[in-house]
Amino acid sequence: MHEDKSAKWFIFVSIVFFLVTILIGFTMAIKFVFPEFLGGVGIFSFGRIRAIHTNGVLFGWLLAADMGLAYYLVPRLCGVKLFSEKLGIATLLLWVVIVLGAVVTLASGQTQAREYLELVMWLDVLVTVAWVMFAVNIFGTIAKRKYPQMYVSLWYIMGTIFWTALIWIVGNLPVYSGVNDANVNWWFGHNAVGLIFTPLGVATAYYFIPKSTGNPLYSHRLSLIGFWTIAFLYIWTGAHHILFGPIPVWLQTVAIVFSISLLIPVWTVIANFFGTLKGKWAQGNYIVKFLMSGTVFYLLTCIQGPMHSLRSVNQIVSKTDWIPGHAHMAVFGAFSFFAIAGIYFAVPKIYKTTLFSAKLAEWHFWLSFVGFLGFSTSLWIGGFLQGLQWMDHTIAFIDTVKAMSPYYVVRLLSAVLMVAGQLLFALNIFKTARIQAGEPALAA
Amino acid sequence: MKIVETKSVVLVVFVALLALLGTYFTMVVPLMDQSLYEPTADATPYSKLELRGKEIYQREGCTYCHTQQVRNLLAETKRYGMGEEETFKRYGVRALIQAPPSQPGEYVYDKPHLLGTRRVGPDLARVGGKYDNSWHINHLRDPRSTSPGSIMPAYSWYFDDRGQPTKDAIALVAYLQKLGTNIKWREQGVARVKNQ
Repeated sequence: MHEDKSAKWFIFVSIVFFLVTILIGFTMAIKFVFPEFLGGVGIFSFGRIRAIHTNGVLFGWLLAADMGLAYYLVPRLCGVKLFSEKLGIATLLLWVVIVLGAVVTLASGQTQAREYLELVMWLDVLVTVAWVMFAVNIFGTIAKRKYPQMYVSLWYIMGTIFWTALIWIVGNLPVYSGVNDANVNWWFGHNAVGLIFTPLGVATAYYFIPKSTGNPLYSHRLSLIGFWTIAFLYIWTGAHHILFGPIPVWLQTVAIVFSISLLIPVWTVIANFFGTLKGKWAQGNYIVKFLMSGTVFYLLTCIQGPMHSLRSVNQIVSKTDWIPGHAHMAVFGAFSFFAIAGIYFAVPKIYKTTLFSAKLAEWHFWLSFVGFLGFSTSLWIGGFLQGLQWMDHTIAFIDTVKAMSPYYVVRLLSAVLMVAGQLLFALNIFKTARIQAGEPALAA
Repeated sequence: MKIVETKSVVLVVFVALLALLGTYFTMVVPLMDQSLYEPTADATPYSKLELRGKEIYQREGCTYCHTQQVRNLLAETKRYGMGEEETFKRYGVRALIQAPPSQPGEYVYDKPHLLGTRRVGPDLARVGGKYDNSWHINHLRDPRSTSPGSIMPAYSWYFDDRGQPTKDAIALVAYLQKLGTNIKWREQGVARVKNQ
């Protein structure tokens, strides 16, 4: 009964953007080892492509993939068709315009120069319009639902629609200056992770963990606690990015206290996921593997986060390569893994077939898993040592740069595995889409 | 609790109230804090050339590898201060002059802010006056000629065919030389040492 046109096209487009932006990330990893690589040209320089990588992965891949999955799971949880497939496709077209516009403007150096808020004003307006279109479609579907009680995934998706609108619009207002601009920037930057990608990732996991394991949700009460505590606590934490910096000390302390208290929503959600996964750890296929390791990485990244906000830890790890290692665990290890699991589950269902190759998907998992561990572990070790070196002012800064080079090499080699894995992912999904309904998939 | 699970409007209203509460205290209250807009005693607005330089800095994403904040930590005030050799060469005094931790009043003319979060290269909050203009030009043209082992890109598109800096390169250097000078910390530090 479900048409799923919006769902599948959002998913396909997000995968294309995933490949492009991960290759840009790969190019950056090369530049850390060979600084002259693609040198001498403005549009290929690190400072330009860095913003394309981060914005591309966050908004081109992950948000688009999560929107596609929302178009898939919201109608199913409501027991009705999507409010409007036409509106969904229109949203997608606008999204493609936005992403292409972002690549062109950022490559040519048009930027707000505020991290994660780089996109120029006309693109910000288009994103807002697209988000309203998405909101109308989701709320329109929920409004005509068959089941009065709403499942936890729906709470998170509705919450995210509000949070995203709030932080996107307020964060992009061109009215801030000085240290308050920095404070607003990190109010946005941190809530982008915590109130866009976290709740959408959690929403998909809450749907696909019970679906793919066949286990019922472990605890309704835990899902309530997890949702309402994150809704209260997360928004207070942005200033932990500027500890020891030129902002009021009370603001830093508030951010620290709320950052530590984030252990409550995270551990409740994790306990719920683990409880639901119970008994399936040994027999899990590639979908369950992505969900399980995504859950573990979510747990680990959310132990790191609160610990980073402690002044004693922050003074060492802040500003070092440790932080990109941490950020990739959240965005790649946890939330991209959830989205990948959802796509592996949803696409064959949409086409009423099986996945093109389960074996390729297993390879995709192990390449992503091992590649990510190498990527982040090398940055954690190197970054931590670099942070300790910075504590001794007699060590020249350039020597702390040179000391990173072996870690940058390991990171680059690990990135090869991550890229290879995602190529297999794209191949597998596009092959699956081309199998005619009823035809047998590749035996594997 | 049942009502938030059956009425979507009620759920969104509660979500909004909680989000606005945190936003008010952590964002709106600092925005209204007038002390954060008081310029430091030596603060001056950017000149036209420096402002052009700041635009180049933004356009090239310098902020992704260079922070502009000396954190309130002894290791940083020493590292980004003026070393003994440098102080001796310029002021005839042998002393390490610590860089003051960054203060809100130094940033009042920054829109957008460029505090940054990552140090692939060193912090630049106190770089103004540390090197002469020709060092900066050489460093931008070929970073490894002045800093062997550096992984910074060479900004060759800011130089003409004969290797001469363009107006934009000169503007960028002017901006870099302005950084950190909203507090006259070198002169004040040396005066303090001489008075002891």
